Amino acid sequence: MAEIAHYKEMHPLAFRITHWVNLVAMILLILSGIEIHYPVLGGVMGLARGLHIFCGIVLVVNCIARIVLAFVIKSSPMGGTRETVTDFWNWLPQKYNRHQLGAWIKYYLFIKKDHPLSAKLGVPQKLSYLLIGILILFMGYTGFCLWDVTMNVPFFAGFTFAVGGLMKLRIIHYFMMYIFIWFTMIHGYLALIDGMALPRLMFFGKETGGLTYSLETWNIDGYDDLGAAEKIEIVNKEDEQAAATA
Amino acid sequence: MKDSFIESLESRGLTRRAFLAFCGSIAAAIGIEGVTGIDVAEAIEENALIGTNGGRGEGKLAPVVWMELGSCTGCTESFAQADDPDPATLILEYIALNYSETLSAAAGYSLEESREQTIKAFPGKYVLVVEGAVMTRWNGDALRIAGEATCAPGESPLLDVCKNAAAVIAAGSCAVDGGFCAAEPNPGGACGIQKYMADNGVNTPVVNLPTCPCNPATLVAVIVQYLLLGTLPQLNEYNMPEVYYGETIHDNCQRRGHFENGEFVYEFGSEEEAKGYCLYAMGCKGPQTKANCGTIRWNRRVSWCVDAGAPCIGCASGDPRVTQRNWIDFNAPFLNRMKDIHIGSLRVQPTPVALTITGVLAAALIVHGIGMKAAGRTEGAGGPDWEPVREYDKKHGITHGSAAAATSEPAEKAAAEVSEGGEQ
Repeated sequence: MAEIAHYKEMHPLAFRITHWVNLVAMILLILSGIEIHYPVLGGVMGLARGLHIFCGIVLVVNCIARIVLAFVIKSSPMGGTRETVTDFWNWLPQKYNRHQLGAWIKYYLFIKKDHPLSAKLGVPQKLSYLLIGILILFMGYTGFCLWDVTMNVPFFAGFTFAVGGLMKLRIIHYFMMYIFIWFTMIHGYLALIDGMALPRLMFFGKETGGLTYSLETWNIDGYDDLGAAEKIEIVNKEDEQAAATA
Repeated sequence: MKDSFIESLESRGLTRRAFLAFCGSIAAAIGIEGVTGIDVAEAIEENALIGTNGGRGEGKLAPVVWMELGSCTGCTESFAQADDPDPATLILEYIALNYSETLSAAAGYSLEESREQTIKAFPGKYVLVVEGAVMTRWNGDALRIAGEATCAPGESPLLDVCKNAAAVIAAGSCAVDGGFCAAEPNPGGACGIQKYMADNGVNTPVVNLPTCPCNPATLVAVIVQYLLLGTLPQLNEYNMPEVYYGETIHDNCQRRGHFENGEFVYEFGSEEEAKGYCLYAMGCKGPQTKANCGTIRWNRRVSWCVDAGAPCIGCASGDPRVTQRNWIDFNAPFLNRMKDIHIGSLRVQPTPVALTITGVLAAALIVHGIGMKAAGRTEGAGGPDWEPVREYDKKHGITHGSAAAATSEPAEKAAAEVSEGGEQ
């Protein structure tokens, strides 16, 4: 029973949608990108290019939308609570995380035994998510530098010149794909290793009961089984009644 | 005067019609609005009347000095290989090509004298065409012309010619970025003329005309534009004329249709190659290379690399500012999609490097996952226990909120109380 409760306030619908868009766009971008790098499949280069450019634009727009929504939508700063703050606070250094970077690193290196108390986004998590946001925008930018339609626009051509040409830019763009793949591997691993509660919430909006967290004491303060005990009682009573009538 | 010009053309086997067609294509190549083939014809006629008193100002032909440095002479060849008088050689003859090691009839002292005289007689007025890389190593002794260290740093015969020129045209990739001569390990200290001049504080305008060899039509067009308007073409950030080096090879490639259809050559000698499919998978650098090869073509528009069945190797994609970004180092190995990346003295393709890191990461995550399971932190194993209080807070005796004595007890109690409820 050591899981924190996963409430919808942790990942509101709008952010679950942007997460879905990120996931689908990135998978399509990676697959079409590999095809563009070297045509493993015959016959689909036109499709791959069209899809790549479309998904690239979708990913960039989605990233910008996510950033804008962070200032509009409220989400909880930690699992196990239904209290919310405007989402962008969760992307800045938070008091719940203070002095916890070392604790997180030690925890993942098995030096520390128990799970660190933290905000919804732990310290390494927050840093890597922020980096990914910047990377998406930079990846989009280098993509536009390479796309023949926009490559000669001074805003993009200037960067190509500074980097030293299209070949170098292609290698940077290609290598950054692997950074996304590495990020997703670690991200997926860490999200799944703690159990299915988080993916259930993030993908399907299903809540899971667990420990509750107090924003006042910055600590675990109870347990919420989402009314499961009551439901079981009701079922038991019904069973009893059924047995009595029988 | 006109008649004598036409006669002069005809005596060289060139019809009036062919000459005008040539002028039209030059006008199109120059690409300036309002410049027609007729303007070009007039410019050539007025400036270039050999053997008459015509030409721009009392028979003075536009003087050109052609310096050949570290090169294979391929650019001269490309320019002057005509077996009968053709427009390119015609133009060459109608400028006063005062100095060219390969093309000048004179040799030795008299030729060197002609170069010196040109500098003296037309300071700031002649055009310098540079072919080949500037060989700077051993104080310029890597290349000696007429007993002098031609390309020495600081002061050299080459710098003298550069300083006094109206414009420098770097003809061919070696003159632009050092080309083959500058490819690693670059023993001769080769670089492009732009970098050499920049390093030695000479700021004569440079027009870079890469490709290996230089396309004669492009070179002629730049010279004619200079004769015609006294201007140089509009240059991009690499000092290459935008009009010739603005679009990628890929955009104007005759095999582009096969690319979009996903029809590729994966192996030379294959059926796909015979069908003329796209050479992208063979490492074609067309998408990264901006040049007009596919439209202007070569050898009097007979063919060009891709038409001949070879992938583009990116000979116009070097960076004139940085020697080791010459087009060879920038594109080799030619038959791979990407250039090798340099890790110390190691030369490797990006993909194996990236896949190695991916493999190591995957293995690390699997090992870590086994560790997490063994440590009882996974869902099935009961999950990790939460720390009762932050280590830092514990150390410094910090408490938060009104429930100042927050410990793990409430959580444990709460968990114990509802444990029979189970997880939903």
